[in-house]
Amino acid sequence: MALLSEVKKDYGKLKNYVNGEWIDSTSDKVIDIENPTTGEIIGTLPMSTVDETKAAIEAADEAWWAWRETPPITRGRIFFRLKELMEQHFENVARIMVQEQGKTIDEARGETRRTIENVEVAAGVPSLMMGYGLEDGAAEGIDEDAIISPLGVFGAICPFNFPAMIPYWFWPYAVASGNTYIVKPSSQVPITQNYLTKLVEEAGFPPGVMNIVNGSHEVSDTLMEHPKVKGISFVGSSPVAKYIYKHSAEHGKRVQAQGGAKNSLVVMPDAVMDRSVSNMLASFYGCAGQRCLAGSNLVAIGDIAEPFLKKFTEASRKIKMGYGLDESVNMGPVVSAKAKKKVLEYIDSAEADGAKLLLDGRKAKVPGYEKGHFVGPTVIDQVTPDMKVAKEEIFGPVVTYLRMNSMDEALDFIHSSPFGNAASIYTQSGKWARDFRYRCQCGNIGINVGVVAAMAYFPFAGYKDSFFGDLHGQGQDAIKFFTDRKVVITRWY
Amino acid sequence: MVECDFPECTTFGAVIRFSLELEKGAAGVYEDLAKEPNAAAAAEMFKSLAAAHKKRGALLEFTRQQKLNEMILEPIQDLNREAYIIDTKVLKGVDTKAAAKFAAKVEETSARFYLDAARIAKNLMAEAARVMDKLGKESQANKAKLDAL
Repeated sequence: MALLSEVKKDYGKLKNYVNGEWIDSTSDKVIDIENPTTGEIIGTLPMSTVDETKAAIEAADEAWWAWRETPPITRGRIFFRLKELMEQHFENVARIMVQEQGKTIDEARGETRRTIENVEVAAGVPSLMMGYGLEDGAAEGIDEDAIISPLGVFGAICPFNFPAMIPYWFWPYAVASGNTYIVKPSSQVPITQNYLTKLVEEAGFPPGVMNIVNGSHEVSDTLMEHPKVKGISFVGSSPVAKYIYKHSAEHGKRVQAQGGAKNSLVVMPDAVMDRSVSNMLASFYGCAGQRCLAGSNLVAIGDIAEPFLKKFTEASRKIKMGYGLDESVNMGPVVSAKAKKKVLEYIDSAEADGAKLLLDGRKAKVPGYEKGHFVGPTVIDQVTPDMKVAKEEIFGPVVTYLRMNSMDEALDFIHSSPFGNAASIYTQSGKWARDFRYRCQCGNIGINVGVVAAMAYFPFAGYKDSFFGDLHGQGQDAIKFFTDRKVVITRWY
Repeated sequence: MVECDFPECTTFGAVIRFSLELEKGAAGVYEDLAKEPNAAAAAEMFKSLAAAHKKRGALLEFTRQQKLNEMILEPIQDLNREAYIIDTKVLKGVDTKAAAKFAAKVEETSARFYLDAARIAKNLMAEAARVMDKLGKESQANKAKLDAL
């Protein structure tokens, strides 16, 4: 099978990007970066020290005032340059992502597109961060204005599932609105961000404005605790999100911490069968189920349950697995051996709990990629709401099939979850769709859409334990998170 | 023959890859035909069509980069590339009429592929389906011109 070429076989030991320079970490703690499809080691990552992180924070703080004084239109222009560079390097960014994360090339190209979209939106910062004012707003002859101002240094702690996009939910908005930034990429997938940061450097951001510090919890803790850091953005699991939220808040930070999910896709009796099945395949198996917007519970209402399950399972069998650099592949591996083990344990638990495996991906093998962390599409029938697999986030290509009698029952089930990230309904009824959209307590609602991924100009929402904070990533929410309102009341004699 | 290792175009990327191979093959056919001494009367037309197919390749690359919607990356079905193989081996010494007939066959197959792809994947490829439709109609128009030679 012809594969697209890899950008490099070995990316070497990655460096930090601090104050406009690529710096070797002095740490002797280094971890391997594995290609999850081939098992090859494609680079190494130093676990940067506390002092190195502090140095990055100091550099970002030093750079802040001059950057803040740079007019928004000028800041925006550098983002236009960055966008152009990202377009030129589009294919390389996508292919690196396939190599280090395991997703398919289509998924990686799609993610690259979304990454660029965040840059495009942030480039419009003069409009996004305009304040407002009112003549005689305070009294006759006394005007009142609200000015939107940046705050200083911000940081992001990022997950493995979207190596390019997730840091870009945050830093372009922060930097465009006049702050400076430190990104800690996921230690599992740091190469994409490393590559993108070379484009950031080439685009001409002044030294210290955007920085990358690689590492683990020492970097994260330093970012959360340092007095010069004004806020933290995070995406990951709910327990960690909760910790990040609490720990950062204790140190006086603003926090937006996105957690896990357990998303239900509800198929009503009048759903358009073929279209719904096709769309749900993308939701359940896209990125091998490793997205916080992935479908996990498939809830069938009434008589459609049997025929829908049959069709869905048949379609699931056709999902082609392999190396994402083969353009005909539908699904890659999960990110690591540890991730695979966890997914398999969930499947085991479903079986032990009495559910029925219609499609079992536990023994999936892909010829030529025996070291790959593949889990095949898995469909588990006769799941009940009390089972572990119906309640917990699996983060793999596993579909838990539940049968219910009404939308009310489905909503009760959705609301029994501690998560509130996303939910979708498949129906042709406007009434059902409207009821679902109105009543469902999740941050991202899909109507005949299974991956409710907000575009860059909308907030990436999330309720309950799926989000800790109040202002979300992307769009206007991001601008508000990274700025404050300063009220000025003016009287001239 | 158009070389692609996968039998079915089941993904957005595979559809675009096959389309790019079709365009490369078609451009090569026209370049070869333009060199045929017995078909010299149509050489300029063949050169122009070769350039047009290269431009279409660039449009497809642009489409792959700009019109991919991550939210609806659904599997594509019923688009078997074996139904759209084009013959790219131009026979030496063909005259204008035979050359035009040969090229018309390429355009006919291309048109069928693009229009089928646009129809089958209309809801899965969003804006890209519109590009496929445009290319299909262009190929139909090219065929009509060739038939008139």
